[in-house]
Amino acid sequence: MFNTTLFHYLTVGLAVGCNSVAVGIGEGLAGLAAMKAFNIQPSARAEITRTLMLSMALIETSAIIGLTIAFMLLKPTLDHPNAPFMHYSVTGIGIAICLTGAVLGIAASFPAQAACLAVARQPFFTQKIQMIMLLTQSLMQTPLLFAFVISFFIKDQMPNVTSLAESIRLISAGLCIGLGSIGPTIGLAGFARQACESLSVNRFAYSEILSFTLISEALIESPIIFSLVMAFALLGAKSSAMCLATGGAPYIAAAIVMGLGTLGVGIGSGKTATKACQYLALNPENYSQLSRTSLTAQVLIETCSIYAFLIALFVLLLQ
Amino acid sequence: MSDFNLLSPKEFWNPLKQYGFKHSFFNLTLSTITATWAVLFVILLLIVFGRLFFKNKKSRIRYVLITATESFMDLCTQTLGDFNFHHFSFMFALFIFILICNTISLVPHLEEPTADLSTTLALGTLSFLYVNYYSIKAQGIKEYSKEFFQPFFVMFPLNVVGKLASIISISFRLFGNLLGGSVINNIYISAIGTSWIATVINFLGFNILIAFFFTLFAGSIQAFVFAMLSLTYLSLGIQGENPEGS
Repeated sequence: MFNTTLFHYLTVGLAVGCNSVAVGIGEGLAGLAAMKAFNIQPSARAEITRTLMLSMALIETSAIIGLTIAFMLLKPTLDHPNAPFMHYSVTGIGIAICLTGAVLGIAASFPAQAACLAVARQPFFTQKIQMIMLLTQSLMQTPLLFAFVISFFIKDQMPNVTSLAESIRLISAGLCIGLGSIGPTIGLAGFARQACESLSVNRFAYSEILSFTLISEALIESPIIFSLVMAFALLGAKSSAMCLATGGAPYIAAAIVMGLGTLGVGIGSGKTATKACQYLALNPENYSQLSRTSLTAQVLIETCSIYAFLIALFVLLLQ
Repeated sequence: MSDFNLLSPKEFWNPLKQYGFKHSFFNLTLSTITATWAVLFVILLLIVFGRLFFKNKKSRIRYVLITATESFMDLCTQTLGDFNFHHFSFMFALFIFILICNTISLVPHLEEPTADLSTTLALGTLSFLYVNYYSIKAQGIKEYSKEFFQPFFVMFPLNVVGKLASIISISFRLFGNLLGGSVINNIYISAIGTSWIATVINFLGFNILIAFFFTLFAGSIQAFVFAMLSLTYLSLGIQGENPEGS
């Protein structure tokens, strides 16, 4: 019998490690963009520095959440009767936090890069550009918060786990939210960069871009919401005889269906909104046509993630 | 779907039990019903006091109400092509109801009724039925049913599923967002405990910030998205295949 505390310590290490690597790369990219912006407009030094500092505080969130998780899990349980299964279940927390944080650390720097360059182009419009940047970046943190919530629930349920199939259920809850947040986060990052760029192209389109950003980000994010609901369903599922007999295979299946179902949807929906935002800056007077077409396309793209959601739900509930 | 909300055990009220309806489908969630009546009461207060403020021509609240209504009117006109008071009143009522549902948790002892799947599914079904009724009315039953066989005949089942999926997408978006927000709020309050650091942080207003973000900001965005999507579906349904008609 090999020592199962390995899984526990692996999670503690990866939660900090993965997120720190991503945050390091992201902050480096933001700094690089700020240097380029200095080069373009040296007299806007103060504004660019302030934008960079504001954005870095938000990029760093994922590293801080990884640190919190690591502190939370620092001491493994050893003398509990279910200790090995608890150590297996901790892997779920690791997957949720690592996958989400690793993507988000780099993704959150995209609007920061675009905002630094936009401030260099429009130094007298800094306040509005910073506002759009902070708005998009803070909306981008939702998958990480959801992963954090799921981690709390996994940690709550860990002592009650009595078999490998049950711990696989908890691991799949983490896998569901972790895999599910990759695609939408990439889509959100591309959209947020374009929103900041569009502001620098045409600052008179501010009100149109603001309202379009709010609706589009909510739509791009909705696959994450489906993953969250699926993860809650996995956490609340009663273990049936079939799941125990197959070693928890239906749980893993539901998680992978949901996770992969959101991947393409998130990226595609983000691309659609990105193009719409680009043309919005060029033709603000065609706002209603552009936003309606983009919304319709996004809703149609999203249907695929609903199919995945329904199949995952049926896999879980109809046993 | 009865074992879907296992995360928070809720109190159920079963009025039809004495007649033999014991299935969990007939259960009514007590917190949802009380919160929904509270929302209706708030809307009633809004109407009564709104009328009082309308008597004074220089009142600021009158200005706010008129501006809000006019901006939503503009939105309706932009999306639908021309102004239609019937559609406008339905969508604005939907928007106001969901907005107040999402923010009712700022009142102590009340939970959001929209964090319950029953409410959001009902709202989604309502908006779906409204949109499809007016699409049939505008296009005629022949044109409407022709859409389902669009590329070729075999696609009929997929088209039907795609149409019904809009209910699920619109209702689960609202439900998931609100559920996530309320769970995060509860976890924050229970996780931070009663240490002196927690008290200091709370006096600095951090908990108010979190409550503000997850109830007011996310709630109003979700209400807006719900109404906007219903409007978009309606405009697509009314204008049929040629959205150039506007």
